[in-house]
Amino acid sequence: MKAAALPVASARSVQHYRAPSRLGRVARGALLAIAAILFLAYILAPMAWLVSSSFQSEHEIVSKPPHWLPHEPTLENFAAIFAAPDQSVTYETRRATDPASGGFIPSTAKNLLPAIGNSMIVASAVVLLNLLVGVPAAYAMAKIRFRGRQVSIYGILATRVIPDIALVVPFFLFIRNLGLLDNLWSLIITYLAITIPFSVFILISYFESLPDDLDKAARVDGCSRWQTLTKVYLPLSLPSVVAVVLFSFLSSWNEFLLALMFTQTPKSQTLPIVVASFTSDFTISFSFINAAGVLAIIPPVVLALLFERYIVSGLTAGAVKG
Amino acid sequence: MARIDFKDVTKRYAGDVVAVKGLNLEIRDKEFVVLLGPSGCGKSTTLNMIAGLEEVTEGELWFDDQIVNALPPHRRDVAMVFQSYALYPHKSVYENIAFGLRMRNIASGEIDHRVRNAAAKLEIGHLLKRRPSQLSGGQRQRVALGRAMVRQPAVFLMDEPLSNLDAALRISMRAEIKHLHTAMRTTFVYVTHDQAEALTLADRIIVMNDGVIQQIGTPDEIYEHPRNSFVASFLGNPPINYLAGAIETVDGRPAFRRGDMRVILPPSIAARLAEHGSRDVMLGIRPEDVLAHGLRAGGPTLTGVVDSVLPVGSDRFLGLKVEGCDVFVRVDKQTLHREGESVTLGLVPERLHLFDKPSGTSLLADSAR
Repeated sequence: MKAAALPVASARSVQHYRAPSRLGRVARGALLAIAAILFLAYILAPMAWLVSSSFQSEHEIVSKPPHWLPHEPTLENFAAIFAAPDQSVTYETRRATDPASGGFIPSTAKNLLPAIGNSMIVASAVVLLNLLVGVPAAYAMAKIRFRGRQVSIYGILATRVIPDIALVVPFFLFIRNLGLLDNLWSLIITYLAITIPFSVFILISYFESLPDDLDKAARVDGCSRWQTLTKVYLPLSLPSVVAVVLFSFLSSWNEFLLALMFTQTPKSQTLPIVVASFTSDFTISFSFINAAGVLAIIPPVVLALLFERYIVSGLTAGAVKG
Repeated sequence: MARIDFKDVTKRYAGDVVAVKGLNLEIRDKEFVVLLGPSGCGKSTTLNMIAGLEEVTEGELWFDDQIVNALPPHRRDVAMVFQSYALYPHKSVYENIAFGLRMRNIASGEIDHRVRNAAAKLEIGHLLKRRPSQLSGGQRQRVALGRAMVRQPAVFLMDEPLSNLDAALRISMRAEIKHLHTAMRTTFVYVTHDQAEALTLADRIIVMNDGVIQQIGTPDEIYEHPRNSFVASFLGNPPINYLAGAIETVDGRPAFRRGDMRVILPPSIAARLAEHGSRDVMLGIRPEDVLAHGLRAGGPTLTGVVDSVLPVGSDRFLGLKVEGCDVFVRVDKQTLHREGESVTLGLVPERLHLFDKPSGTSLLADSAR
């Protein structure tokens, strides 16, 4: 009877937190799926076209509407790349093969395979040196309290506020005075200057997220600073190390501007430079360029597949804690 | 085995934050010493200095007959247990315990023997293959203890090792740590902010506040004869009650007065009081130092109005209003009181504490100790 005295909530004021209806759930799922497909298409379409067109003849590439799946798949473009070192193309022989019929070889084509080698050397060296310098630097800044620690962290980051193009001239003078023009070291040195600050930053955030007590425990257990890093922190920070490997590899693999400035001959030219040179030839063969593009993306894709399980956690590691 | 000696040690962090000021402390060989104080009092910094994890800014730190100021942690024979356990997440329990031995290049047969031995003692023998993430808090704590035990260090350091455990486990682990000390016969330095832990475990307690030692003594000395109001408040649960008042003379004997309340002080206190000549004081009454029955005729009493009655199973706490002050006392279960009732309780004269109000120093402790 007492309950009657309590104020009764009007039906409208009550909110019900019921599970959504079946229709609602289906609709929500469908919308999400459509959004995901659109997004994927946006990301993957250029890649798909690159791969598909590398298997098409020049004639098929320009057909309207474009063929997403090659009607007459051909390996001629790839064959041309590997045949290139045996053939030299000059102004006189430029019409020896017809671009429209496939198998066309640009005059700089023979530089492509050496360029892949150069890119590989530069990128691997940059990755290695990034780890060698970045890991100890980041550990010191994350775990050792010393005077000027904050200043060094900000100093390192501040170097990245300057756009690369503003550094081209100083870099050029520096490299020329060292006598390193047209030498792979010119690229390794300048790429390090660009990548190490980011690598250190990614690693600092990750090391900082690992508890300080681990550092103390390891040192009391008998580790020197260096052993603490190699035996305790490094095994625990594989995701961020992988992020650094990928980041520094991709940056060096794709870099164009500095490579254009410092390399002059096939001796030191990297992949982006040689691929770009195909567009300024006697004739432009899209199918050949696309085949070269497919070769160019293979190493990064292999790398990504290799480290796939670390990638997501590594790339977000620096994001949460700044 | 090691004796640890702090000689005028000061620790200053960057930005001129002083964590420890002019610390003079001798920790004897095989002693169980507890550093007790609120957070930020410098107790953990002191412990880290012993471990070598923090540098000594000024002064000297001695291990036996050697100055160790510049000795890095891995060259000191110390083991440490952390509040967060600090187990290596990528290593198995076995490897966690063995790590310190491996770093010291001990033969693998000996390592295996010591690890299994320690694991058996700590009852974690069946967990050796697991990763720390697969263990409960209590199990992790045991692994952390095992990691320190197998080292057979000269100094065993513990930084709030039980704070992350639940209440029941904490009490049983206290007993185990006590046993560990007896079994290992080595110097233990234990940091805590929990006064009950300090009182149960310590041979000697060092109470710290604001980077300065407040008092050093056995648990009984610290509890019974606090040198100042900080120490008195920090130990005891519920904490000691303070009544601010003045000293005046009644019938030729000194008495504490607050409003209508008068407590004639016993001759032992009166004699000490004469030395100080202080008038503005605080009377300290521990909650358990009241008598609900058997009031002595003419003895000091406490009269107040019951504000709250809190049964806690074994006994009962009363919140009283005494001369405008809240006083919390413990009485036995048989004593029944109602809120709003006026009660008179006896005070044990020998157990009263008296502090100088402006400085907080005890007027009863042996002066200039």
